[in-house]
Amino acid sequence: MKTKALWLQGVSCNGNSHSFLNYEGLRELLSKVEFLYHPLLPSRLRIEDLADFTEDIDILVIEGAIKKEGFLRGKKEFFRLFQKLKKKAKYIVAVGNCASFGGVFKEYEADLTGVGYSKGEKIADFENLINVPGCPAHPEWIGSVLSLLCEGCEPELDELSRPAEIYSYTVHAGCLRNEYFEWKVDSATFGSKEGCLFYQQGCQAPYTGGNCNKILWNGVSSKTRAGMPCIGCTEPGFPSRDLFKTKTYMGIPARMPKGVPKRAYLTLTGVAKSFKIDRLNNPLMPKGPGCEKEES
Amino acid sequence: MRVDILQKIEGEAFLRYRFKKGRIEHVKIEFPHYRGVEEIMRGRPAEDAVAIAPRVCGICGHSHLIAAAEALENAAGVTPPLKARYIRNVTLGCELIQNHIKWLYLVILPLLKRMGFREVPFFEAIDKSATAGKIIAIFGGQYPHTSYAVLGGVCSDPTLLEIQKAKLFAKEIEDFFHSEVMEEIERFSEFKDSRGILKEIYIFLKHKELLDIGRAHDRFLNLREGTKILGLKRVSAKLRYVSTAPSGIGYAKNALYKGKYFEVGPLARRIHTPFVKDLHRRYKDGLFTRIAARVYEIKILLSQLKETLKKIEPQGDSFVKTDSLAEGTGEAVVEAPRGSLIHRVKIKKGKIERYEIITPTQFNLSNGTSLNPGPAQKAVIGLRDRSEAELVFRSFDICSVCTTH
Ligand code: SF4
Ligand code: SF4
Repeated sequence: MKTKALWLQGVSCNGNSHSFLNYEGLRELLSKVEFLYHPLLPSRLRIEDLADFTEDIDILVIEGAIKKEGFLRGKKEFFRLFQKLKKKAKYIVAVGNCASFGGVFKEYEADLTGVGYSKGEKIADFENLINVPGCPAHPEWIGSVLSLLCEGCEPELDELSRPAEIYSYTVHAGCLRNEYFEWKVDSATFGSKEGCLFYQQGCQAPYTGGNCNKILWNGVSSKTRAGMPCIGCTEPGFPSRDLFKTKTYMGIPARMPKGVPKRAYLTLTGVAKSFKIDRLNNPLMPKGPGCEKEES
Repeated sequence: MRVDILQKIEGEAFLRYRFKKGRIEHVKIEFPHYRGVEEIMRGRPAEDAVAIAPRVCGICGHSHLIAAAEALENAAGVTPPLKARYIRNVTLGCELIQNHIKWLYLVILPLLKRMGFREVPFFEAIDKSATAGKIIAIFGGQYPHTSYAVLGGVCSDPTLLEIQKAKLFAKEIEDFFHSEVMEEIERFSEFKDSRGILKEIYIFLKHKELLDIGRAHDRFLNLREGTKILGLKRVSAKLRYVSTAPSGIGYAKNALYKGKYFEVGPLARRIHTPFVKDLHRRYKDGLFTRIAARVYEIKILLSQLKETLKKIEPQGDSFVKTDSLAEGTGEAVVEAPRGSLIHRVKIKKGKIERYEIITPTQFNLSNGTSLNPGPAQKAVIGLRDRSEAELVFRSFDICSVCTTH
């Protein structure tokens, strides 16, 4: 028998639903899981059928923030549906930052929350909650967690109920700019292959959990590899302000890499900065013209 | 009154039908809820706009990104380098491609199936829409929701080999499109000697005599190009004549041009191509013309994609630095999957004082009166069958999520 899952949206942008469609194992997963309802994929139930739905389900997937009142799904209050379904579900998987911690729309409506957390604060005690934050969550995070649960296997969770295997890495691990980070060579501007974005452009990867730079996005790259600073979308504080500028304190990034004492950081920085590594201060590679040939 | 829930579009909408003698006399379209994106922008540093904007919508967030970046640039009086503009064209085009493929396979075909069309598996199509996402990720790091387009250009500096990889992905999508969806044809000619899903849809709708239901006002806007199209004639159109007005229902506002309702989207953008023109001649701005224009746009986008990829020169600049943006007002219009998308921003002391977003669905699904209906309303008035009406609605590719930003 297939695992029964149901994907319900709170206040969301649909981004996790679309991210999920990029999952490489989608076909295989859908041979093991039936989505009784999904906002995009064909499903047995229509949204209005959820009102009278009473079956047990294996996995309740929640995308989007929880709003207690004045928010309809079908013709019913979302919160009533959510209350009912969560009692019927063996597991609750909160996908995206919105469902995990409240997310971006909480900036407008402060009373929005995640399923079990409001920002980083626990608001409900769920034994069966798995948070898969990200804005959106990586398709493989969603897909592989669901597929693991199908086999009756549960991932180890961290203190924010996130699968530790995914979120114990920092996004910084595996970035192509790691050498520049080590030697404190900053990226002078956007649009360059060289330099680290931690010192000026606001990169939050050294204190943001996620294996983006290990498994890569869409199988090809990551934001930081492409020169965009990590904006910390897997953490409860997302979205912070001034996302493209590093907050500094006496010229030093105000926030330290995860678990690194300021003194240790300063010591290493002092040493690293006292050397100038030519290779890292020069263009990484010569750049030629493109392929467009002048029409003759 | 009969209330239907339009679902498995982007988000949901309520359709409140009024029938008279078995025909739809009027329909009110209600988009519930508002997420406050414009409010979230307010008070933030101007540069943050490109991080917030994509979160308007999971399927067209990239269009919101480009619109936000261009609105900031407009306010700052900055033009990004040519290379950055090419790269943005590539990624934006890919967003349209993935949207249109998903729309065909997840929004249109499942409903046609309920009406008797054959079951069409969607995995390969979804896989190809994901391939379009891969191209975006090569330049933007990820899809959905990158913010790699920033005030002054793009963050990435792709290598020639990365561009090469993008070309291969583009080819994969193209092969799929021409073998499954439609062959490379330039004229309609009832798809003579050609095959594909679009032709099957044509035959199906013809058999059911539905080809030319769903006609709207036959007037269109392509605001990026700066034109409005009346009776196939293109005349210039200015952004400043776009206004919004309360719709009287739900949270969405109507969008109007000089006080009138206009249709935006692929049909508006492609109506002058021979293929769409042929269809328009026969079926006016009816159901099949609208469906086929969106499908045909994939072909146009794919060939533009190939051309633009060739033009990106690794040695060019991706970004120009701007002195910090303290004061100014800016606006930008982008042709998003569903049509003209407008972002307007006012910046004071480096902070966003006001932000306004007008989405394509606001144009297409404006709530007018039965005497002066919005485009989609007009298109369903007079129909008897609610699933036919639903099909007409879906042909507009409705985004409730965007509309309730
Ligand atoms: S977490 Fe991000 S991608 Fe997911 S619903 Fe919220 S805003 Fe959209
Ligand atoms: S750009 Fe960000 S992720 Fe990359 S090395 Fe620097 S801090 Fe780490």
